[in-house]
Amino acid sequence: MGTNETTTRTFDGTGVVPLAGVGTVIWYDPGAELELGEPPEAEDVDPSAERERFADARDSARTELERERDQIAERVGEEEAAVFDAHLQFVDDPQITDGVEDAIDDGFPAEHAVERAFEEPIERFEGMDGMMAERADDLRDVRDRLLRLLTGGDRVDLAALPEGSVLLADRLTPSDTAQLDPERVAGFATAEGGRTSHAAIFARSLGIPAVVGVGDDLRSIDAEASVLVDGTEGTVVVDPDEEQRERAAEGRAVEIREDAVTTADGEPVEVAANVGTLAELDGAVRQGADGIGLFRTEFLFLDREAPPDEDEQLEVYAEALDAFPDGRVVVRTLDIGGDKPIPYLDLPEEENPFLGERGIRRSLGPDRDLFETQLRALLRAGAVGEGTLSVMFPMIATVPELEAALDRVDAVADDLESEGVAYEKPELGLMIETPSAAFLAGELAERVDFLSIGTNDLTQYVMAADRQNDRDSVAGLHDPCEPGVLRAIERTVEAGHAGDAWVGMCGEMAGDPDLTALLVGLGLDELSLSAVTIPEVKATVAELETDDAEALADRATEATTRTTVSELVADTDTDT
Amino acid sequence: MDRVVTVVPEDGLHARPAAEFVETAGEYDADVQVGPVDGDPVDAASMLAVTSLGVASGDDVELVAEGEDAEAALDALEEVLSTPEAESAT
Repeated sequence: MGTNETTTRTFDGTGVVPLAGVGTVIWYDPGAELELGEPPEAEDVDPSAERERFADARDSARTELERERDQIAERVGEEEAAVFDAHLQFVDDPQITDGVEDAIDDGFPAEHAVERAFEEPIERFEGMDGMMAERADDLRDVRDRLLRLLTGGDRVDLAALPEGSVLLADRLTPSDTAQLDPERVAGFATAEGGRTSHAAIFARSLGIPAVVGVGDDLRSIDAEASVLVDGTEGTVVVDPDEEQRERAAEGRAVEIREDAVTTADGEPVEVAANVGTLAELDGAVRQGADGIGLFRTEFLFLDREAPPDEDEQLEVYAEALDAFPDGRVVVRTLDIGGDKPIPYLDLPEEENPFLGERGIRRSLGPDRDLFETQLRALLRAGAVGEGTLSVMFPMIATVPELEAALDRVDAVADDLESEGVAYEKPELGLMIETPSAAFLAGELAERVDFLSIGTNDLTQYVMAADRQNDRDSVAGLHDPCEPGVLRAIERTVEAGHAGDAWVGMCGEMAGDPDLTALLVGLGLDELSLSAVTIPEVKATVAELETDDAEALADRATEATTRTTVSELVADTDTDT
Repeated sequence: MDRVVTVVPEDGLHARPAAEFVETAGEYDADVQVGPVDGDPVDAASMLAVTSLGVASGDDVELVAEGEDAEAALDALEEVLSTPEAESAT
């Protein structure tokens, strides 16, 4: 005791990807390298030569930006690549080029002129809020690029970091993050930034362990230190202990399987991704998803003044289908209620929006026109896109609700038929989220092709525990391993199969590799989860023996307490 | 010649819609300015200037164009500002 001095230090930040990595610190501080000395005397500067240098730097910047743009479009998605279009425009922005050229004419060399011309606009944007403040980052990014090109300054080549590096920086620009190679980088951490920063979005999409917003303390970590970046815990650990290292190594060692997996004894289990924006599609493909098990459509409707029209939706759905030519894309129709502000929908203020008018209740009521437009777009997309389209309805509690929704699909198909518009009727299903739907799973299943269990809401409703309430007495109940919830799941799977429907799961429970054996044992045909955990869940499925999994499920569904369930799950875990 | 247009894209004059707006303005010989109605206009061909206006979806902006193809430029810019999403950008 006491001889083993502990050097482990932990820094808290915000984890953006539930992945961990251990590596050697490389500090990235592009600003420091770009420190310019005092400008030379004005009479020693040749303005026409400096103008030429500036023009050359802009040419090179454009070439670089176009290359990075294409790279990101391919690796992350078109939507995220758009930021480079903005950078390209800043490079040629008359306010900036005029400013630089004026400064050159005043006798400054090109690099000093660039620094001066960007100063005012950067400050101006920094003074604004939200989205505008992010423009300041974009401007800094463009400025630093021009300065690097002008000074020949070599920045750390982010695309060629030594294998096993952990990159630390005050902030990473989109261009920086875009260059990181997930094969080489063990992770990154930044002092600034939040979950929605470009760096965070790229990290998620590229599958790089990342922690952002650590604060100034991050700078106290020395280069060459050995650190763990734990995206699950949101921590950066200097000199992690053996156990922490091993855990990180396990997470990283999982290889990506592009093919569908079966259990060790040959039972197929579809492993699909939950997706909430188009930008996430590429990540899902890259992590080896067999398809999309939950395509949330709310993003199409949020933050705008008018709903998307049929053609706009058609394009989005078709793009999702094209991403999985051999797979299935399960689109959930609009699931919205009083908890989300949408200006053009007259959403009621409700005492309890999660028990209020939401999901299918709105689609069959006040939002029926919106629902029809969405169904038209979906049926048309089915005829256009490559993959197999499935459509499911949220918040179904009764058989008549389901029948009404199915009738709407038939009516839309008839309309399209008589209009001579190409369409294809999708596979149809519903979410099992309400306890009523779980009790009626048999009758519901007879009317559709599939059921998908949304464990987050199902847990909240079965346990009567608001998932946004963090009091221990409430949050403690919000666990899908509660026997009450497990039995609702068991019942749903059995009744679903008896009704000739396949049964999937798209809640967070499906993404916990520790529970994969239990879920496979319960008989789920499909698991849909956030893309980053797909490799781990696929690897877990491949090692399972169905008999063992079923034995576990039998014992777990007979358990009386959550503690017993956890123990059963943990025991099986150590057996394998 | 000038024209008042309501900005439809959800991002307002930021991000992709702004990029498309600036690009379109640059395609015409006419000198185009944009600004709040009765406010100080800025160069419509400058991304920097346009985004710093802080125009949100639903705001009215005034476009002023001078030159040979002023009318065509205004038509094209109105089109950009009236399209819900910058769909053509991809």
